[in-house]
Amino acid sequence: MGSIENLVTQIQGLSGSVDDIAHLHNILKIADESLHAEPSALSSVLDQVDPAKHSLGYLYFLEAFTFGPVSKEQALTLIPILARFINCCDAQQIRFAPDKFVSVCKRFKDHVLLIESPLRGVSPMRAAVRKLQTTSEHLTTLHPDFLLLCILSKSYNIGLSVLEDDIFDVDQPRDLFLYCYYGGMICIGQKRFRKALELLHNVVTAPMNTINAIAVEAYKKYILVSLIHYGQFSTSLPKYASSAAQRNLKNFCQPYIELATTYSSGKIAEFKVYVDTNREKFDNDKNLGLVKQVVSSMYKHNIQRLTQTYLTLSLQDIANTVQLGSPKEAEMHVLQMIQDGEIFATINQKDGMVRFLEDPEQYKTCQMIERIDSSIQRIMTLSRKLNAMDELMSYDPLYLSKVLFPQVGRERQRFDFDDFDTVPQKFPI
Amino acid sequence: MDFGDLKEALASQSYGQIADICDHLMLQVAAEGVAFQEEWPYAIHLLGHIYADDINSARFLWKSIPSSIKESQPEVVAAWKIGQHLWTRDYAAVHEAICGFDWSQEVRGLVASFAEQYTKRMFRLLSSAYSTISLQDAALFLGMSEDDAANYVLQQGWDFDPTSRMLTVKQQQAVTDQKLDPSKLQRLTEYVFQLEH
Amino acid sequence: MEPEDEIYENGGGEQPPPRSKPIISGEQLDVETYASLYRDRTKVARLLFIADRCDNEAMPLEALGMEALRMAYDEIKKGENTQLFREVVGKIRGRLGDKYEMDAAWCETVDRRAEQKKEKLENELNSYRTNLIKESIRMGYNDFGDFHYAHGALGDAFKSYVRTRDYCTTSKHIISMCMNAILVSIEMGQFTHVTSYVSKAEQTPDALDPITVAKLRCAAGLAHLETKKYKLAARKFLETGPELGSHYNEVIAPQDVATYGGLCALASFDRTELKNKVIDNLNFRNFLELVPEVRELINDFYSSHYASCLEYLGNLKPNLLLDIHLHDHVETLYDQIRHKALIQYTHPFVSVDLRMMANAFKTSVAGLEKELEALITDNQIQARIDSHNKILYARHADQRNATFQRVLQTGSEFDRDVRSMLLRANLIKYDHNLRASRKL
Repeated sequence: MGSIENLVTQIQGLSGSVDDIAHLHNILKIADESLHAEPSALSSVLDQVDPAKHSLGYLYFLEAFTFGPVSKEQALTLIPILARFINCCDAQQIRFAPDKFVSVCKRFKDHVLLIESPLRGVSPMRAAVRKLQTTSEHLTTLHPDFLLLCILSKSYNIGLSVLEDDIFDVDQPRDLFLYCYYGGMICIGQKRFRKALELLHNVVTAPMNTINAIAVEAYKKYILVSLIHYGQFSTSLPKYASSAAQRNLKNFCQPYIELATTYSSGKIAEFKVYVDTNREKFDNDKNLGLVKQVVSSMYKHNIQRLTQTYLTLSLQDIANTVQLGSPKEAEMHVLQMIQDGEIFATINQKDGMVRFLEDPEQYKTCQMIERIDSSIQRIMTLSRKLNAMDELMSYDPLYLSKVLFPQVGRERQRFDFDDFDTVPQKFPI
Repeated sequence: MDFGDLKEALASQSYGQIADICDHLMLQVAAEGVAFQEEWPYAIHLLGHIYADDINSARFLWKSIPSSIKESQPEVVAAWKIGQHLWTRDYAAVHEAICGFDWSQEVRGLVASFAEQYTKRMFRLLSSAYSTISLQDAALFLGMSEDDAANYVLQQGWDFDPTSRMLTVKQQQAVTDQKLDPSKLQRLTEYVFQLEH
Repeated sequence: MEPEDEIYENGGGEQPPPRSKPIISGEQLDVETYASLYRDRTKVARLLFIADRCDNEAMPLEALGMEALRMAYDEIKKGENTQLFREVVGKIRGRLGDKYEMDAAWCETVDRRAEQKKEKLENELNSYRTNLIKESIRMGYNDFGDFHYAHGALGDAFKSYVRTRDYCTTSKHIISMCMNAILVSIEMGQFTHVTSYVSKAEQTPDALDPITVAKLRCAAGLAHLETKKYKLAARKFLETGPELGSHYNEVIAPQDVATYGGLCALASFDRTELKNKVIDNLNFRNFLELVPEVRELINDFYSSHYASCLEYLGNLKPNLLLDIHLHDHVETLYDQIRHKALIQYTHPFVSVDLRMMANAFKTSVAGLEKELEALITDNQIQARIDSHNKILYARHADQRNATFQRVLQTGSEFDRDVRSMLLRANLIKYDHNLRASRKL
C-alpha cells in the first residue's frame, strides 16, 4: 500500500516539465504490474491525483483500475470517471503512453455500448481522437470507434467533422479499413456520395494479403453508391488494387455485380424485377435502403441522358422514355433535378414541354477563381508531399535493395513502380 | 441543462445557429449522463435542422427520438411532418404541415421564419425551373391562395394570362461578383509563368 | 461535293430532282439466272440455302424454294454425292412429282463405284509410297482429296489436300494445294483456315498469275466478311482484279464481288474513301456494271440522294437475305449504312428540319427522333433535338467552358488519387516494417 502512496507523491511532484514527465513515465512503467495486481486499492487514490494536471499518472491508475470485465452497474459508475478524464486530460502527457490511453478509451466505448447509450460516448470520444492525434493527418486507432458511436447514436453530422480531415498516417491497417467503412456509411447517410465513394474506394483498393469482410461489405456499398452517383459501375478494379481483391471481391458480391449489369441496360422495369427477386439478399446485407435509392437514381440518370440529346422534349415523351406513370410525374422528377442542380432546364407547363439548357456556369465569377486557386494550392501541397515521400523512399536502403536486386523474387512485386503510376511522378510546379 | 444559448438564439432570431447549438448541447449533456430526453426541446431541434436545410440530420434526429416522446408530444410529430414532406419533396404539403398545427409560443417565431424562407425558396425554384406555370400550381408551391399568389408573382414581374390561367415566368438574372482581387490575378499569373518556364 | 464548311439549313435549299428511273431488281430472284452464275458445289449449296430460307418464310416464296430444290436435284445427280442426294430428296418431300423421287438404284450404283474407286486409289497411293516417288504421292493424295470432296467428305478432303504439302516441289504445287484447301474450307465454314491458306499462297516466291491473285482476294474478302471485319472485306473485294471473270464460279461470281464489296464499303468507309476507292476505282467499276442497282445506290449515297439509295437497298434486301454468305450480315450492314447516311445528312447543317429529314429517310418524325437519339447518345452526331419544333440543332461545344470543366475535374481527380495513393504507400510501408520486424 505504501508503494502506491509513494507513487502518488511522485506523480504529484513530477507532472511539470517534459523531462519530469519522461522520468515519471519510467517509474510508472515499472509500477504498472503491481498496479494491476491490486486494482481495488486504486479507487481511493484516484481522488488524490488531478486528471488534468497529473494526466499521465492518472492514466496509469485508471487503466489498471478499469482493467477486466465489468457489469452493467459497474459500467454506469465508471463511465463518468472515464468521460471526465478524457475531457480534461492533458494531451501532451497522455501521448507518452498512447497504448494506455487507447485501452482506456476503448473500455469507455465498450462501457457506453454495454449500457446501450452510444450518444454518451460521442463527445468524449471526439475529444479523445483530437488529443491522441499528433497532427490532423494522423489516423488514430480511436477514429473508427468514434465513427461507430456516431452511427449507433445517429449523430451522422457529428461524424462528418472528423471525416473532413485528410488522413495520411496510419497506425494499423485495420484502423483504416474500419475508418473508411464507417466513414462511408456516414457519408451515405448524409448523402455525400462523392466522399463516400472515395472512402469506400480506399478500402477496396487497399493493399491486403487476404480478402477481409470489411472489404467485401465496402465493395457492395461501393457498387451501389457508384450507381447512385454516376449511374454506372465498372467491374474492373484499378491495377494497383491487391491481387487478393482482384481475384476474390467479385465472387463475394455476385448479386451486386448482376445488379450493376442490369442497371446498365437502362430498363427500369427489368431492373425492378431483378431487385424484387433478390430483395432478401440485399435486405440481409442491410443494403435494401441503398438499393432503393439506386432504383430512383435510374430515373434521374435516364433523364440526364436525355438532356444530352434533346433541346426540348415533351413531358409525355419523357414519361414514356424513362417509364414514368404520367407527364405530371415526369415534371416532378425534372423539377427535383433542377432543384438539386443535376440538370439545367425550364419546364413549360403551357405546352407540356421541357427545354434543356447548357450549364450556365461561365467560369468567370470571383467564387470560381477562388475555387480554382484553392484547388491549385491543394494540388501543390499534395505534390510536395508526394515528392517528399518519393525522396524518402529512394533513400530507404530496404527499398533500394528490393529495386536494385530484384532477384529476391515475388517480394519485389509489392514495391513495383506500378503502385504509383496512376498519378504523374512529378507535378511541374 | 443550460438552455441559455438556445434561448438567446431564439430571442435574437438567429435561427440558423439553432441546430448547432442543440447538437452541441445534446452531446454535452449526454456525455454527462443526464437523462435529457424527457425535457429535450426536440421540436426546436428538428426545426433547427429543417431551417438549416439539413433534412438528413433532421431525419436521423427523428429516428433517435424515443417513441414515448413521439406519442406524448404532438409538436415534435408536427415538426417532423414538415421535414418528412421536404424529404419526399411534397412541396405543397410542406405548407400544409406548417399551417396545420397550432405551434407553441416558443417555436412560433422559428416556424414563421422558416415558412417565409421556404416561400422565397419556392419562388426562386419556380423562377429557375419554369417558363410557364399554371396559377393553380404556383399557388400550391407558394402555399397561398390563387389571388395572393397572383399578386405575389405579378409584383416580381411575371405575366398572367387570365384565359389560360397561365403565368409566364420572368427569369431572374443572378448578379454575381465578377470583380477580381488583383492579388489573386497576380497569383494565377505566377502559376502560368511557372508552368511555362 | 458540297461545301461542307458552309453553314446552312436543310430547308428551302435545292431539292433532289424526282427520280423516275425504275428500279430494276426489286422483283423476285430469278433462280435460274442466279444459279447459272455458279458451278459445282457452291451452286448446290446456294440453291439449298435458298430452299431452306424459303421453307421458313411466308407462302409466296414457296414456288421459289421448289424451283431451287428442283435445280439442286438436277445438279446433284450430275455428281457423285449420294448423301447430299438423299438430303435433297428428303427436302423435296415428293412435291415435285415422279421425276424427283428417291432413286435408290442410282445411289447404289454410285456408291458401289465409289467403293471400287477408293480401293483403286488406295492401292495406287500405297504403291507410290513404297516407291517413294514424290510427285506421284502428291498426285495420289490429290486424287484422294478430289475423291472425298466429290463424295462430300469435306474433312477427309481437307486432310488429303493438306497432306500433299510435304510432296510439293514447285510454287505451282503449293498454290494448287492452297486453292484446294481454301475451296474446302469455305464450304466447311472454316474461315480461319481460309485466311491462313490465302496468306500461304501469297507468300510463294514466284509471281502469281492475275487470275489466282483475284481468286485469293475474293477468298480473303469472304473470310473477313464472315468475321464481321467489313472494312477489311471491302478492301479485299475492291482489290479484286477484273481477270477474275467467271474463273472462280465454283466459289464466287463477279456479281457477288460487286455486291459484297459495295455494301461493305458503304457501311465502313468514310466519304473520301468511298470516292477514291470505290467510285473512282476503274477496276471495280467493271464489277459494279454487273449489278447496276448497287452502283446506283452507291452513287446516290455519295451524292446525298438518300431516299433513292434507301429504296434501292430496300428492294435488294429480300434477295440479299437469300445469299449464302451475306444473309447474316445484311441487318448489320444496313444499320451501319443507314447510320452513316443519317450522320452524313446532318453533318453540314446548323439546323435540320426533322420533317424533311424524315421524308428523305422514309420514316416518321418520331422514328427519326429515336434513331437520332441513339446516334447522339453514342456521340456520333454532335447535335441536340428540339422535339417541340422538330428541329435538330448542331451543338458547338464551348471550348473555354469545356476546358475549365476538364481542368477542375482533372484537379479533383488528381487530388483524390494522390491522397489515396499516399495512404496505400503508407499501408505498404506498415506491412513491410511488420515483415521486417518479424524477420529480425
